[in-house]
Amino acid sequence: MASNPGQVRGNLFRLAAIAVGLLALGVVPAFIDPYSLRIVTGALMWAGLACAWNIVGGYAGYISFGHSAFFGIGAYTTAILMQAGIGMPFLATLLPSVVIAMIVAAIIGGPTMRLRGAYFAIATWAFAEMLMQLATILDITGGTGGLSLPAYLNEFFFYYTMLAAAAASFLGVWYLIEYTRFGFRLKALRDHEPAAEAMGIRTNLVKVQAFALSAGITALFGSVFAYWTTYIDPVSVMGPEITDQMVVMVLLGGLGTIWGPALGAVVLWITNRYIWSTFGDTVVYLPVLGLIIAMVVLFLPNGLISLIVGRRRGRELISRILRKF
Amino acid sequence: MDLFLQTIMNGVLIGGILICLTIGFQLTFGVLHVIDFAVGGWAMLGGYAAYWLVALAGIDPFISIFLVFVLFALIGRAVGPLIYHVRTSRYARPDLMALAFTFGLFLLMRGGALWLWSYNSRNVESVFSGEFLTVGPVTIPVLRLSAFLMALLISLGVFLLLYRTRFGMAVRAVAQNRDHAGLMGVDVKRVSAYVYGLYTGITASAGVLIATIYSVNPSVGVRYTLFAFFVAVLAGLGSVGGVLIAGLALGLMESVVSTYVGTRYSLLVVFGVLFLVLLIAPKGVLGRGI
Amino acid sequence: MSSPAIKTSSADKSPLVLESVVKRFGGVTAVAGVSLVVAPGEVVGVIGPNGSGKSTLFSLAAGGLPVDEGRIWLDGVDVTGQPTWRIARSGIGRTFQIPSLFDNMSVRENLLAAAVEGDWKGAPGRAEEVAEMLQITHVINNLASELSGGQQKLLEFGRVCMRDPKVILLDEVTAGVHPNIRRIILEVIRRLSQTGITFLIIEHDMEMVREICDRLIVMNMGEVVAEGSFDDIASNVEVQQAYLGRQS
Repeated sequence: MASNPGQVRGNLFRLAAIAVGLLALGVVPAFIDPYSLRIVTGALMWAGLACAWNIVGGYAGYISFGHSAFFGIGAYTTAILMQAGIGMPFLATLLPSVVIAMIVAAIIGGPTMRLRGAYFAIATWAFAEMLMQLATILDITGGTGGLSLPAYLNEFFFYYTMLAAAAASFLGVWYLIEYTRFGFRLKALRDHEPAAEAMGIRTNLVKVQAFALSAGITALFGSVFAYWTTYIDPVSVMGPEITDQMVVMVLLGGLGTIWGPALGAVVLWITNRYIWSTFGDTVVYLPVLGLIIAMVVLFLPNGLISLIVGRRRGRELISRILRKF
Repeated sequence: MDLFLQTIMNGVLIGGILICLTIGFQLTFGVLHVIDFAVGGWAMLGGYAAYWLVALAGIDPFISIFLVFVLFALIGRAVGPLIYHVRTSRYARPDLMALAFTFGLFLLMRGGALWLWSYNSRNVESVFSGEFLTVGPVTIPVLRLSAFLMALLISLGVFLLLYRTRFGMAVRAVAQNRDHAGLMGVDVKRVSAYVYGLYTGITASAGVLIATIYSVNPSVGVRYTLFAFFVAVLAGLGSVGGVLIAGLALGLMESVVSTYVGTRYSLLVVFGVLFLVLLIAPKGVLGRGI
Repeated sequence: MSSPAIKTSSADKSPLVLESVVKRFGGVTAVAGVSLVVAPGEVVGVIGPNGSGKSTLFSLAAGGLPVDEGRIWLDGVDVTGQPTWRIARSGIGRTFQIPSLFDNMSVRENLLAAAVEGDWKGAPGRAEEVAEMLQITHVINNLASELSGGQQKLLEFGRVCMRDPKVILLDEVTAGVHPNIRRIILEVIRRLSQTGITFLIIEHDMEMVREICDRLIVMNMGEVVAEGSFDDIASNVEVQQAYLGRQS
């Protein structure tokens, strides 16, 4: 949709920046120890999760407290399919995991998204908790004992897999939002729903599509996470901590922006690891998380990214930089 | 048949406490238009307060409950303006910002409790613990009966406040139409702060009662929040009267499922029903929600 | 029991036909049985005191609200009860009294978003044309939230034009705008109506109404109380009463 020279130059600039970024991330393993590599892998995962949540929370405007359900669906699908009886190879489990999550999202999305704001939040929360209870009860999920996956202790593999997933998510979402009809529909829906309807946009359909997309990406990371940690149980992959983090990361980074979630994810994850290494466990992390949300709401509702790229000033600033190219 | 009667009795007794747990929540929603995610947190902290008052000062929870009420009412009165401020600020989505804020508050409470007091469950002993009453085929723990009666007393107190005092009239006016109430001379901001204090006081008191029966630890807040949401949604968000029926309904449902299906399934059923109710009848079964 | 369908030859060719539409809100009847037939290229003014149901009528015609009774035809097709988005795609567009722009998008993006369910390939070119027609090309890269009130009205109008509608409903589009902007709007209405696009405009500005409208419809308390040319209406006693206050 580039329709003026300034925009073409802007796109090239963006692409170049992304290529450099990917390259830099690509060679990271050569320079750091395995322990730090795990931290970066984790950061990539959370960045991807934040990106996924932002589609529904930031763009469609629905605060979901149920995304842990999709993370869990992804994790359990991969875990179950890799059990001794079925023995699917890891990469083959990714497609079913994403598809199942998207189907579930499509089914509950329609009726659930008829609910406004807080009702939707409670409904998704109830749904996620319901699934977690189910995972605790059923045999196929191993009940409270959870499931073990075949061990594969190659940190490089997981780093690059996470990187690929995160890169695909961000670039995919970026492309969809900025350059496709779907993106325009979503942004129109976010800005003014009645007007979007008056333009002929099927807002309910767009909402469900966004929800399904978000669920699929979340499940993807759930799958990789399961294989990475080798052992999963209901609390670790479907518990409220997952949703808590996703929500705070996006709010902290900047709701409804493309790169805000990544920023929030990285900052929060580093905080998490720092607390872990300093205090020995993550008990202190929870109140810190709560404090961060409270502070963000009170003082920085547009997220960290608004400090870096203030809406109006940011656009002017960037176009001024671009004109020099 | 005996089992059935016992189950019903258990359900009713618990239901009474659930009413008390949710009444304040409904008021907060009606007046401040905020769904307080921290409702379970206030209850949990109330339970802890009762525990420490027993452990350190030997005060029976049925006496300290009044102290807890005052303490938390004061705290809530102080926090209330903050909530009000967030809810009325010029964000793009103030309702969601308020939600996020109370959610953050809840994390703070949960995490703080975990950090300070670790995950161990604390029992709150009372003079009524371990005593039983037998009425026909039904055995009633005196503790639960006392808690039930206390809960009803508090709820009655709230109703009297709402319908027999000038303050209560102001509260109802704001809940019905905030702007008009303001034009009539009601100080909406102050009323909101007082209502929040009333809410935290009541909810913490309910937490005291629950703690005597079930003990308290940092994770119970999540369950209490769920229960409060359930009762509130079933009654219709903002409807204080509907809570009477919805509270009993949840109590009975929980009791029946626990007894006849298994305690493992009770949470699943509660979450499942909540989800379905939201999809089918978000304004509550009686349709009185906002 | 429905009234007999309007089957005149003009109705068959009419891009918009309303038959006895009724809309109630609780105890209030906002629109109490309004029937309407328009001809292609006509500019029809809809006037009346505040609260007479004009905006509600627009919402019904454009599909934003469902009718309680009555039927609506767009281009000869019965669209009664269809969802908003489908009616919107059937060739009718409307502006809103309160600006309904996509605040976080630029002017260009607002125009493009309007075409997202239509000719997407040709949309960028069309956006340039529409912007030029409404003389907002100079702000085409600005955020919609940065525009002046008048420019926002022009953009609202522009978005509707992007969809190539056969019927355009303008709801007080010149309210409070600078005379220059009013002139631009008038010009565009004139130009477009000559290509066969029908306009229904709600207006309080009588000068504009006299200048641009082929005929007028006067509403009061949800009903049509008078129809005709400007001069007919101006001398109509009932209309005067409606504006000056209720007599009965």
